[in-house]
Amino acid sequence: MDFRLTKEEESFLKEVQDFLDQNLPDNWIGLDPDGHNEQGDEELHRFDLEFRRKLAARGWLGLQWPKKYGGQEAPMMKQFILEQELIYRGAPYWAVSAALMIGDTILQFGTEEQKRRFLLPIAHGEVQWLVGMSEPNAGSDLANLQLRAVEEGDYFVLNGQKTWQTGGHYADWVCLYARTDPNVKKQKGITTFLVDLKSPGITMRRISQMTGHPAFCEVFYDSVRVPKENVVGQVNAGWSVALFGVATEKSFGYWLINSGRRDLELLIRYCQETEVNGRPMGKDPLIRSRLAQIAIELEVGRTLGRRLHWMATKGMPIVAEACQLKPFGGGILQRLANLGLQILGPYGQLDEKSKWVKLRGRMKYLYLASAAMTIEGGSNEASRNTVAQVGLGLPRS
Amino acid sequence: MDLSFSEEQEMLWKSARDFLASRCPKTVVRQMEEDEKGYVPELWKEMAGLGWLGLPFPERYGGGGFKFLDLAILLEEMGRACLPGPFISTVVLGGMPVAEWGTEEQKKEILPKVCEGKAIMTLALTEPSARYDAGSVKVKAVVDGGDYVISGTKLFVPDAHIADYIVVVARTAEKANPEEGITLFIMDGKSRGVSTFVLRTIAGDKQCELTMDKVRVPKGMVLGKVDKGWEMVKKVIEWGALAKTAEMVGGAQQVMEMTIQYAKDRVQFDRPIGSFQIIQHYLADMSIDVDSSRVSLHKAAWMLSEGIGCTKEVSVIKGWVSEAYRRVTAQAHQIHGAIGFTKDHDLELYYRRAKAGELFFGDADFHREIVAQQLGL
Amino acid sequence: MDFRYTEEEEAFRREVQAFIKETVPPGWLGVDPGPEEESREDVYPLALKTWRRLGEKGWIGLTWPKAYGGQESPLWKEMILLQELSHHGVPGVDVSSAQADLVLTFGTEEQKKRFIPPITRGEVKWCIGMSEPDAGSDTFAVKLRAVEEKDCFVLNGQKIWSSGAHHAKYEVVYARTDPNNKHLGLSVFIVDLQSPGVTMRQIMQMTGLAPFCEVFFDNVRVPKENLLGEKNGGWAILLHAFGAERTYGLFVLYNAKRYLEQLVQFCRETHVNGEPLAKDPIIRNKLAQMAIEIEVGLNLGHELSWLAMQNQPTVKASSQIKVHGGGVAQRVANMGMQILGLYGQLSEDSKWVKIGGRMRHTYLGSVGFTLAGGTSEVSRGHIAGKAGLGLPKR
Repeated sequence: MDFRLTKEEESFLKEVQDFLDQNLPDNWIGLDPDGHNEQGDEELHRFDLEFRRKLAARGWLGLQWPKKYGGQEAPMMKQFILEQELIYRGAPYWAVSAALMIGDTILQFGTEEQKRRFLLPIAHGEVQWLVGMSEPNAGSDLANLQLRAVEEGDYFVLNGQKTWQTGGHYADWVCLYARTDPNVKKQKGITTFLVDLKSPGITMRRISQMTGHPAFCEVFYDSVRVPKENVVGQVNAGWSVALFGVATEKSFGYWLINSGRRDLELLIRYCQETEVNGRPMGKDPLIRSRLAQIAIELEVGRTLGRRLHWMATKGMPIVAEACQLKPFGGGILQRLANLGLQILGPYGQLDEKSKWVKLRGRMKYLYLASAAMTIEGGSNEASRNTVAQVGLGLPRS
Repeated sequence: MDLSFSEEQEMLWKSARDFLASRCPKTVVRQMEEDEKGYVPELWKEMAGLGWLGLPFPERYGGGGFKFLDLAILLEEMGRACLPGPFISTVVLGGMPVAEWGTEEQKKEILPKVCEGKAIMTLALTEPSARYDAGSVKVKAVVDGGDYVISGTKLFVPDAHIADYIVVVARTAEKANPEEGITLFIMDGKSRGVSTFVLRTIAGDKQCELTMDKVRVPKGMVLGKVDKGWEMVKKVIEWGALAKTAEMVGGAQQVMEMTIQYAKDRVQFDRPIGSFQIIQHYLADMSIDVDSSRVSLHKAAWMLSEGIGCTKEVSVIKGWVSEAYRRVTAQAHQIHGAIGFTKDHDLELYYRRAKAGELFFGDADFHREIVAQQLGL
Repeated sequence: MDFRYTEEEEAFRREVQAFIKETVPPGWLGVDPGPEEESREDVYPLALKTWRRLGEKGWIGLTWPKAYGGQESPLWKEMILLQELSHHGVPGVDVSSAQADLVLTFGTEEQKKRFIPPITRGEVKWCIGMSEPDAGSDTFAVKLRAVEEKDCFVLNGQKIWSSGAHHAKYEVVYARTDPNNKHLGLSVFIVDLQSPGVTMRQIMQMTGLAPFCEVFFDNVRVPKENLLGEKNGGWAILLHAFGAERTYGLFVLYNAKRYLEQLVQFCRETHVNGEPLAKDPIIRNKLAQMAIEIEVGLNLGHELSWLAMQNQPTVKASSQIKVHGGGVAQRVANMGMQILGLYGQLSEDSKWVKIGGRMRHTYLGSVGFTLAGGTSEVSRGHIAGKAGLGLPKR
């Protein structure tokens, strides 16, 4: 048993840390791994694009991919190290992860032509992708999706809508799941399409979130024509493509935990530096105890995440384990944000532009944003169902 | 990174599980709760024969030369089986300090006996204030000729009533900093002036009142340096907390397995109750508590084995498991319903041990304070 | 809106408090409500004495019709009585009242005249025969068979978790009279536990006490006059029983209040390294949290009582209080154990024990508070369902 990284892995980690030191601004407060911040703010979006290009210039996008598609054929662990460090430091990463997930999907199910066409631009950081899954009537029950795709000659014609499309307004392409056969069991009539968002017939409406950031879009498809060569995998075989895609989003819970470490460090520094009645807040027994509890949960979660990664590198099935981390991570961040606001007291309420704000309003943002963290990327309830049924072998409800 | 066990470790836990399943059934566990000594001497001998009592000690004293991680793996199985007896007291609280800081003479005298199952040990630290900090060590040890003379009362001392050697933590000097002036003594459990009294506790384990009335301990039985004992005590607290955590993790794992099986077997409303979503969610949460505890335990135990400083990690895991194991047993009771509430059912054995484990060598509040210090607060 | 008790109510409360003071021995640390601790050898005589004295004061069945020995008092009087008894941990806070309520609601005149007066006099205890090994939360899965013969019903099967059956004279038994209809095939019988064919086995609980019994019925003949309500009409009685079960969560909360008071006193009086425990910020915080949860729970309890007094439906409120109260009691027990630290483990006869070992007892006993009388899961179902939040059934 050995919890350490190899020397090679350590040196790659150092490379990534140096890169981040050079390319993140000083006093960088950090972004959450769900992309809501930078996809909902013009200035942050520009930073995201620039950062992405720098990652691409280092050859760090699509690390595990074959070299002919722009990758480095690097071992899985290297990807994990890069990802976790970027997220820990709060670098913009969500758009990269979405594109990588879609790239992985194309690698798994796509034609040679599709791989050649789509993977290189992702590796070069040139294209932003959307994941076209959720609809108003298809959230946890994804198979209930209704956006229709009808075959017409060399094209499929799409009609319907998607929702909760993160960064839709900035995206170039979407990997979209549509219903090609309404007459069979839900899961058996779904097809995967790659759609150019510049196609005629596509309109978008931005949705503002309770954090104040309009990171989401509803995307409407009105007789949008998609060439047949943009079908990924077989027609009506899209459900397994969707499951594959969802499974590759295995680390989201772990991402939340790593991101939370940065926020905790922020709070700890604050408590070390801020005095109340002549004494640093960090000396208050209740505050100490509560900060320590969050530290404990993050540390325990991180170790569970390391185990998840190790299992993935060994090719072991990890669906249930990934689903354990999701509610765990989301819950910790909610408690962290709540504690942050308790520590800041009345200051916690202040908007980030307020004269008296502390920590640039990060805790308030996180408090609002974390409400979504037990829902997005697999709700707690759905995740727990998977843990119970896939992990513990309990019968279906 | 490698989170797998070695072949040897796989064999260790498998053989331990089989051995304990057959030699330590729950009937024995329950008997020992009422038994005065609290352990089965034949079983103790067998454990010695298997090399368990000498597991972490150097081979030249009769030990197995294994590391703390291996000990933790063994302790998990002991926790699963609710093994009664002075294993942690002897091996971790008594034997390990001697192995770490003892003189050659002390090691030669004591360790082989421990390995052979011929000597039981323990550590006497807490006093009636029931705290684990240096300021709470008030029992005095005074020099008298070639001996130290110790008088006072220690409380909640595990297995003191059967211990052949008791490592006593006493105050030899009053200094401004209470962490200075503490010394460890290896006391013969049969010394004149030693009296013990077993307290009746929730888990049926044998925690004792230890009264020392002018007990003489020869200077040669000072463990480590005079007045410098607290640094050693801090380490023993880490070892004790981690050892107990390992036991708790094994117990939690067993409770979860038992509960999953029950949820699959128990039919109400014409379906297994494990098909109800709320039960599935309870069990999913339970699995997070169990799995996270287990891997964090292994990490801390591995670090200790590699000699990597792990003060923070030990407090993280003891603080975590103190509450996680309790949650797991409470949730298991909720899922088992009335049948789990009966004395006959195994579950209550774990519920009570979860509480005892929570308190052993620092509860969550205690360890959170250590984590806070490690965070620089 | 007015949260105060009236002068009359306060006067009655003082009367009850005086009664309790005369009844319990000095320094009485209290027991948890229900038959659990009542069955203890050292407690049962006090329970019997209390029960009789309550009967003498006319305080059993306060709200029942005078014709059967009741006082026809308003509900608030009974609520105050039960509040005080459970707050002070007096044994004899009895569930027999619940069964008497069933007889009063569904019984014939003859049955009411026969069964109720001895209860009001504190002479006789009853118990419930509902659960079976395969019928826990799924109450309608009852299998104990009742076959109608010419002049009686013959019962065969067993019941489990019958609280206090070993001390009871009568058991209200839910039995299956129609094996072909799960929900409409149950009938309710009043069974004299001395009848031939009835045997019992006390079940030891994790608390070390054995207040519950398995009750076995081997061709037990029950006279037809002991059928309660209609044959196959048991469903209506069950429903009524669930709805009328208002007190358990309240008992548990008033009980927890006593533990909090004992802990606060302990923390004020106990010094560790020169400082009273009550000054430790972490302990203060824990005690305060307990106080908050108990206070909030008791307020919910007042709402429940008020609804009952207005004759409004109480299924939702009583289910809420059952769930909340059980949870609060468990958290109080745990926090109490944490405050006592290592001492919390000690059994009540230990030399070094604190607060008479009460925290240890309730730490074990409170496990049952979210199980007995309907699990929290079932209760939450009631809260969510049509009697409460109106959420759809599966």
